[in-house]
Amino acid sequence: MSKRKGNTLTGKIELPQGTLDLLILRTLLPGAQHGWAISERVQQVSSEVLSIQQGSLYPALHRLERRGWIKAKWGTSENNRKAKFYELTRSGKQQLELETETWRKLTLAVEQILEGA
Amino acid sequence: MLNDLRYRVRALFLRKAVEDELEEELRFHFDTEVEKHMRAGMTQEEAKRRARIVFGGHEQVKEDCREARGTSVIETTIEDAKYALRQLWANPTFSLVMILTLALSIGANSAIFSVINGVLLKRLPYPQAERLTRIFLSSADFPKFPLNPFDFLDFRARNRSFESMAAFTRGDVQLSSASEPVHLSGFYVTSGYFRVLGLQPQLGREFDFNAEIPGNGLQVILSDRVWRTQFGADPNIIGRKITLDTQPYIVTGVMPAGTEHPGNNYHAVAYGDSVDVWRPFPFEGSSNQRGSHFMEGIGRLKAGVSVGQAAAEMNAMMTQLGREHPGNDTGWTLLVVPLYSEIVGARQRMLFVLLGAVGMVLLIACANTANLLLARASARQREIAVRLAMGAPRVRVVRQLLTESLILSLTGGVLGLLLALGGVRALVALLPADFPRAHDIHVSWPVLVFTLLISLLTGILFGLAPAMQASHTDPKKGLQGSRTTTASRHQNRLRSALVIAEVSMASVLLVGAGLMLRTFLNLVHLDPGFHEENVLTANLSLPHAQYKTDEQTAQFYDNLTNSLNTLPGVESAGAGSDLPWTGYDENAGFGIEGKKPAPNDYFHARYHRATAGYFSAMQIPLLEGRFFTEGDRKGARAVIVVNRALAQRYWPNEDVVGKRITFEDEPKTDADWLTIVGVVGNVKDQPNSTGAEPAFWWPELQRAQLDMSVVIRTRSDARQVADSLRAAVHKLDPALAVADVKLMNQVTDASISAPRFTFVMVSLFAALAIVLAGIGAYGVIAYTVAQRTQEFGLRVALGAQHGDLLRMVLMQSARLVVPGMIVGLALALSMGRVMQALLYGVSAADPLILASVAFVVLVVALIASYVPARRAANADPMTALRAE
Repeated sequence: MSKRKGNTLTGKIELPQGTLDLLILRTLLPGAQHGWAISERVQQVSSEVLSIQQGSLYPALHRLERRGWIKAKWGTSENNRKAKFYELTRSGKQQLELETETWRKLTLAVEQILEGA
Repeated sequence: MLNDLRYRVRALFLRKAVEDELEEELRFHFDTEVEKHMRAGMTQEEAKRRARIVFGGHEQVKEDCREARGTSVIETTIEDAKYALRQLWANPTFSLVMILTLALSIGANSAIFSVINGVLLKRLPYPQAERLTRIFLSSADFPKFPLNPFDFLDFRARNRSFESMAAFTRGDVQLSSASEPVHLSGFYVTSGYFRVLGLQPQLGREFDFNAEIPGNGLQVILSDRVWRTQFGADPNIIGRKITLDTQPYIVTGVMPAGTEHPGNNYHAVAYGDSVDVWRPFPFEGSSNQRGSHFMEGIGRLKAGVSVGQAAAEMNAMMTQLGREHPGNDTGWTLLVVPLYSEIVGARQRMLFVLLGAVGMVLLIACANTANLLLARASARQREIAVRLAMGAPRVRVVRQLLTESLILSLTGGVLGLLLALGGVRALVALLPADFPRAHDIHVSWPVLVFTLLISLLTGILFGLAPAMQASHTDPKKGLQGSRTTTASRHQNRLRSALVIAEVSMASVLLVGAGLMLRTFLNLVHLDPGFHEENVLTANLSLPHAQYKTDEQTAQFYDNLTNSLNTLPGVESAGAGSDLPWTGYDENAGFGIEGKKPAPNDYFHARYHRATAGYFSAMQIPLLEGRFFTEGDRKGARAVIVVNRALAQRYWPNEDVVGKRITFEDEPKTDADWLTIVGVVGNVKDQPNSTGAEPAFWWPELQRAQLDMSVVIRTRSDARQVADSLRAAVHKLDPALAVADVKLMNQVTDASISAPRFTFVMVSLFAALAIVLAGIGAYGVIAYTVAQRTQEFGLRVALGAQHGDLLRMVLMQSARLVVPGMIVGLALALSMGRVMQALLYGVSAADPLILASVAFVVLVVALIASYVPARRAANADPMTALRAE
C-alpha cells in the first residue's frame, strides 16, 4: 500500500487526477459489475499497469451513484455471494462519452507537445 | 440534481441500512480478494494478510465513502451523538454530577442575565430615549436638588439645547368613587410633559399652555388602569366631570396602557411604578419667588446636542439667573443627567458584581467538568487507542469527545433554563422594593440566546483540553499497556492547575459573601434611633379644598391622635410629616439668634412636622428638654424640637434648650422667633447614610400640614389596630382614603432590602462555588490515590504507618488548596475597591473575614481529601501487589 508515486518496482503507476471516474464508467459499459470485478478488470486490461486503490474505489462509486451516473442493485456474484452490482445509467453513458472525448483531446494535445518539442 | 437529493435523503434517513450495505459491500470485496489469493496458492492466513494490506484502513475507507455520500457532517454528528449518549449512559453518576453542576451554574447565569437584560440592556419604553435627560440643581449641601417653578419657566423659554422640556411634581389625589374613596398617585405636569417623553394620549389630548394658568387647571389626564377599573373604559370619558379631592375635574385625556413613569426623586415614585392621574401644574404667585424647590425637570435634547453641551448652556443660563435674582438663584450649578443613568445608575455596580460572581461560578463549573472529563479520558485511553488503531482520524476522536461535552453542556443548559425560569421569579420577589425596572425582568428571547451561547461556550471550554489530550494518545502504548493506564505527568499537572484555579475563585466569592454578610449584619444591628417593633403606620392626605385653614387641619390630626390614643392596646399614637428611612428630604434655611453664618453659607436643616405623640410612638429618645404638648398651639409661644445633629452643628458645647431661631429675614417681635424646647436623638436618612442630617420639627398644631403619616405603637401585634384606624379616620371624615397601611418593620425591611439581596445572592454563589471546588479537589485526590494504590501497598509492606499515609495524602491536598487559597485572597484584596461602594461598616480587607475564608477553605479541603486519605491509609499490601 505504497503512497509513493510511480512504483517502479512493480511497474505500476498511480492514476492521474480525475481519471478514476472515467475508468470506472468505461469498465461498466459492457454491463453491470461489482466493485471487486471493476478493480480486477482495470488491472487486467491495463496489463497490470494501473491499479485502483480500494480506498479510492468505493468512495468514487458512491460519489458516481450520488450524481446519478451509475445505479446500484444487489445481485448474486459468480462465487454465489450477495454482491452490490453497479451499472451505467443513461446520463452515465452521456458522461462517459463526454469524458472520453475530453480525455482523447487532452492526450492528443499532450502527445503533440511531446512530439513537437 | 433530484437524484442527488434523493440519494442524500436516503443516506440520511435510512442511515442504518446504508451503513449495513456499505459494510457488506466491503466485506464482499475483502473475501473475494482473499479467495483470489488462495486460488493462487497462498494459505488462508497469508491471503488474508495480503488482502488487508491492499485494502487499507477499513474505518478510513468507510469514512471516505460516507463523505462521498455527501451527508457526512450531519451523519457523523448524529453518530457521534449516539455514541456519546451511550458513553454518558454507561456512567450515569458521573454524567449526572456534571449535568447538575452545569445546570446550576448555567441556570444561575441565565437568571442574573435576565435581570441585567431587563434592567440594563432593554431600551426604555420611550421613543429615542437616549435623548431624554433629567435636570437638577446642585450645590455643595444638596447635590441633587429639585427646580423652582419660575426658574424652570426661564429654562424652558431660553434654552436652545432641548427640543422640549417639562417639569413635574408629585400630587396625589383622592378619587371619590361609589364605594370607599381611593387614593391615587398622581403628578402635576407642565404642558408638553408627554410630548417630551414621546408619548400620546390614546383618547383626548394633553394639556396646553393655557392649562398652566392658575384657575384654568381643573383638568385631568387618566391612566389606562384607572380608566378601565374606575370608569369601565368609558369611550365618552373625554369632557366628563369626575370628583378628585372633592372638586370637579374635567377629563381631557387617557394615556395608553404601558405609559411608564420616568421616576422622580422628590416624593419619589420609582420608575415604572403606577401613576394614575396627571393634572396641569398651575404657576401661582410671583415669578420673583424663587426660594422653594419642588419641580422635577426632564428634557428631550435636540438631535446632535450632547449632554455636555446642554449642561454647559444650562449652567451659563443659571449664572445669568443668579445675576437677575441674587440670593435665591446664586450658588447653584445645573446637572443634566441622561434618564437611563438616572434610572439604573445606582444599581449598575451591584448588578455587575453579581454578574462577575455568577460568571466565576460558571468558570468553576467548567474547570470542574474539565477535570472530571480529564480523569475519564485517561480511563478511556484504551478505547481511544483502539479507535485510532482502527484508522479513525484524530480529528474524528476530538470531534467525538467534543460532541460528548457539548451534549453535557447543552443538557445542562436546558435544565439550567428551567431552573432560571423558577429562579427569576424568586429573584424578582427578593429584589429591593425600589429596584428600577423590576417588572421588565423575564426569561425572554435574549436570555434564551444567552443561555444557548454560554452552554456552547462552556461545552467547548471544558471539552477542548480533555479532547486534545485524548487525541494525543499513542495507539501502540494504549494497546500494549496493562489495564492500569496511568495518566501522564502533564495531565496530572493540568488537573492540579484546574483545582487551584477553582479554589482561588471560590475563595474570592467567599470573601465577597463574607463582606456582604458583615454589611448586612452591621445594618441590621445598627441602632436606628427609633424602635420599629409593634408600630403601625399609614398615610393620610387631607384635600385642601375641604381643609382650607391650618386650624382645620391641625384640629383633624389632633382629634384623630386623641381618639387613637384611647383605643385598647395602643401605647401611643401620633402623626409626622414623614417616616424614618423613607428618603424624606425637605430643607429650610433659617436665622439663629446671636449668630451669623459664614460668608456664602447659611443655616439650614431638614424640616419635619410632628404631633405631640409622634416621638413616643416612634420611640425616638428625648435627650434634653421636652416633647411637644397639647399646649403648643396657635397663639402660644412658637416652639420647635431639634435633633442632636442640629444642636451639635450650630451650638456645639452649648445648652440648646431655650435658644431661638427665625424664618424671617428681619425678625422684629418675639412672635417672629421660635424657641427650641427639646432635643431628640438622631435618625439617619437611610440605614447606610454616614450620619444623621441636622433636623428640626414644627408642632403640627402650630404649623399644620395636610399630608401626614400616622404612627401607632401598640402593646402587641400592631396589625390588629388597622381596622380601628380606618374606623377612626372615617368617623372624622368618611371621604378620606387611608393609604399605605404598613408595619414599621416593613418600612425598615424595605430600606435594607438592597444589601440583603446582594448578600443572599453572593452567598448562594459562594456556597455553590466552594462545593464545586470541593468536588474538584476530591476528584483529583481520589484519582491519584487510586493510581498509587500499589505504591501505598508497597509502603505499608515496607513498614509505613497509617498515619504516615494519611499525612501524605492530606499534604497532597494542601499543596492544591493552599496556593489556590492564597491566590484567591490576593485577588479578593485587589478587587476590594469594586465592592467598597456596596459595603457598610466593613473594610474590603477585613482581616477577620480573610481569616474565616481561609479557615473555611481548609476545612472543605480536609473534608474533600479525608475519604481518599483513609482509603490510602488502609491500603492492604496484599491486594495492592496482587493488582499488578
